Amino acid sequence: MSKFAVLIQVNLKTILRDRILHAILGAVVVGLLLVPAISSFSMRQVQELAISLALSGISFFLLVMAILLGSSSIWRDVEQRHTTSVLTLPLSRTTYVLAKFAAIAIFLLGTGILLGICSIPLISVAAASYPSDQPILWGNLVVALCGDIAKSMLIAAMALLLSSISTSFYLPFFGSVVLYLCGSASQEVYEYVTGEFVRAMHPLVIVIIKSVYCLLPNLAAFNYKVQAVYALPIPFEQIAWSVGYGTLYVAMILVLAVLTFNRRVLG
Amino acid sequence: MNPILIERISKSYKGKKGQRIQALSELTLEVKPGEILGVLGPNGAGKSTTIKILTGQIPPDSGTVEILGAMAGSMQARSAFGYLPENPAFYDFLTPREYLHLVGAAFAMSVDRIKSESDRVLALLDLQTDSDRPLRGFSKGMVQRLGLAQALLHDPDLFIWDEPMSGLDPMGRALVKGLMLELKRRGKTIFFSTHVTADVEAVCDRVAVIVGGRLQALNDVQEILADGIEGYQVQILNPSAELAARFSASEDNGVMTELYVSREALPGFLDLASRGGEDIRLIEPRRRNLEQFFLDIVSRNQR
Amino acid sequence: MKGRLALVTLVLAYLCLLPGFIGQMKERPIEVKLGYQPHARVIRLVSGEFSPLVAEMSVVNLLFYYGTLVDKWQKNIIIRPEYMNMFRMLSTVSELDPYNQDAYYFAQAAFTWELGRVKEVNMLLERGMQFRTWDHWLPFYAGFNSAYFLKDYAAAAKYMQRSAELSGDTLRTKLASRYLYESSRTSMALSFLDGMIAREKNAAVIKTYQVRKEALQAVDTIEQAVLAYRQAKGGNPAQVSDLVASGLIKVLPRDPYGGEFYLDNDGRVRTTSQFANPDQR
Repeated sequence: MSKFAVLIQVNLKTILRDRILHAILGAVVVGLLLVPAISSFSMRQVQELAISLALSGISFFLLVMAILLGSSSIWRDVEQRHTTSVLTLPLSRTTYVLAKFAAIAIFLLGTGILLGICSIPLISVAAASYPSDQPILWGNLVVALCGDIAKSMLIAAMALLLSSISTSFYLPFFGSVVLYLCGSASQEVYEYVTGEFVRAMHPLVIVIIKSVYCLLPNLAAFNYKVQAVYALPIPFEQIAWSVGYGTLYVAMILVLAVLTFNRRVLG
Repeated sequence: MNPILIERISKSYKGKKGQRIQALSELTLEVKPGEILGVLGPNGAGKSTTIKILTGQIPPDSGTVEILGAMAGSMQARSAFGYLPENPAFYDFLTPREYLHLVGAAFAMSVDRIKSESDRVLALLDLQTDSDRPLRGFSKGMVQRLGLAQALLHDPDLFIWDEPMSGLDPMGRALVKGLMLELKRRGKTIFFSTHVTADVEAVCDRVAVIVGGRLQALNDVQEILADGIEGYQVQILNPSAELAARFSASEDNGVMTELYVSREALPGFLDLASRGGEDIRLIEPRRRNLEQFFLDIVSRNQR
Repeated sequence: MKGRLALVTLVLAYLCLLPGFIGQMKERPIEVKLGYQPHARVIRLVSGEFSPLVAEMSVVNLLFYYGTLVDKWQKNIIIRPEYMNMFRMLSTVSELDPYNQDAYYFAQAAFTWELGRVKEVNMLLERGMQFRTWDHWLPFYAGFNSAYFLKDYAAAAKYMQRSAELSGDTLRTKLASRYLYESSRTSMALSFLDGMIAREKNAAVIKTYQVRKEALQAVDTIEQAVLAYRQAKGGNPAQVSDLVASGLIKVLPRDPYGGEFYLDNDGRVRTTSQFANPDQR
């Protein structure tokens, strides 16, 4: 097996053997089991609420895991001096950083798919109890789930970048939380400033907001929940743009993380 | 080709309040093939900095370091030695076998070879019974032994060990000393740091003393030990009056008398004793040992 | 040993305390309050991808609140509901998730009959129609509201036409026209309510509809009797008791809102309750 593959394996084992993870995963599974019960509180949106709950629950879990795993990765290895033993082996720092990300990404993908499969019967049960006038488009649900997984990967890459600079938990954790919140709201703010209220603002402020908008991750690009919940059509073009945007953005962040970590003086 | 060639390396750190701390200055050192070289020095002398530069963890400010002809820190150099960090820390969710798998893969060993070599080094360091238990539950000594095991895994010709004896119990220390001598017998080169002079005495061919970031001494251990003899402790059963008069007794319990004989006076003493038919029970050299040799250098530098 | 004894004692004491504690907790008054909700845009920014879920949870919260109110009404406990707050919350929901049908349906259920805020409800329904382009119920409600409450038959016909097109049910246009031009308002409302009850699953909302239906049925009974009286006697009865006296009705129906039926000068059936709970009058 290649060095890269073995490093990924080691990182995955470290992730999977963490008891905190087991606790969080357990809580999410219990939460998912409650989906049919909670969605019955809705008047006519039982199926819609079930889908919304399941997707949001999975998305939230992936988000929490991405932030926790990403922001407790590199700096912790440095602090606990794992890097002293690992990076003195003939392993490059680039391999090391990319393997960290790959392990987290594989974990997010795996648990995302697993929880997605778990929620199929739960959504079906809820939908059967009060059929909606809209069908369930499972393809849309898959797109929405993939969007959530991609979004969590992007957040993980962000957290990894911050943890490659940081020497403690605070910067990567709160940094990625803030980036997540800003990234979720950026589209909304952008539409606000380019829309009706544009005249009330100084042009310089608008330029600044627009540039920040371009820099921040645009997480709205990965949000297909509404389309999944209400069985709205998703044009293929939209998905393609999201995929292209996500791939490039994550690649950019990873290169940045590799560069900063390669420059970092350890020891 | 020399396993390690250090030429005039210097390194300084940014300390508190912006002042610079000179960790190493103009250090030059050469490690010969097949030797065990111990680096002695007080805490903060620059031993760890030297090892960090050798293993490529930090670059020197100036000077060069070659490991078997390759630039320190290069992939080629890092493939050439087995490194034991000081108080090593490994991913503690892994088992020793899993960690060794990572190390083997890093050295591009085949899966079969990793398996057989893992068995070998785990047996060598007495870790077989714990080889599938996660490291979380390991004692400090066990982690240290795993550290040695992973350094031995790919069977390189050069070993760089930072404080290999620390955290080990007496049995562990004996194990490691035996291991070092065995490696030397097989023609391997070992460069290690320590602050325990007894370890150097037991295994080293040469000792380098670093104090204040400078190389203060580089000597053959056997020579230091031989040069260091100052006199002898002699125990005699009921010595004759003549002998007792010539050599002052340091202790006398009525039966056994203990005398101190200086290095120069030994031939005269032996002559007199053999003529008088004295009952000599013990002659023990009293030497200025390595510890004193070391302390002398340190105190000379602090003056 | 001491430790174990202490633990066992404590557990036993706890078990003894529990029944009383639970009983006491049940007695505590439930705080029936909707609470304050921030501006929709703020919620959107904060909740991000979760805003549809936040929207739906607000509706569920609203339904719970409404459920406790209906519960109290049945026990004749009158609590002044936070109607303004409720309506604001619904429009917030429709901004958070314009596809959320619960918001529109609940607005239709709770704000038309009881509160007469038909114009606002129709505005909300219009908004819903922009997004829920497939949903034929929204124009159907808007059509009913226009015809029944606002008596704007032109608008109603437009809505009904749209609803018929969306549902692909040509019967609905006919039904609609029958509603609009042929039926009395009471039977129009009755068949509308039947449709609503059949599709509803929320108990509180069903209860509201049923009370309304009971009242309308009572009105229908009296109206029929008035009609018969007119045919028989050639004039309007002076009071409702005349209908009982002339044998057209056996027993005067009860007004579930607690009022009393009477006839106005034109012979129309009215009630002192004005078809509303006491606090809304």
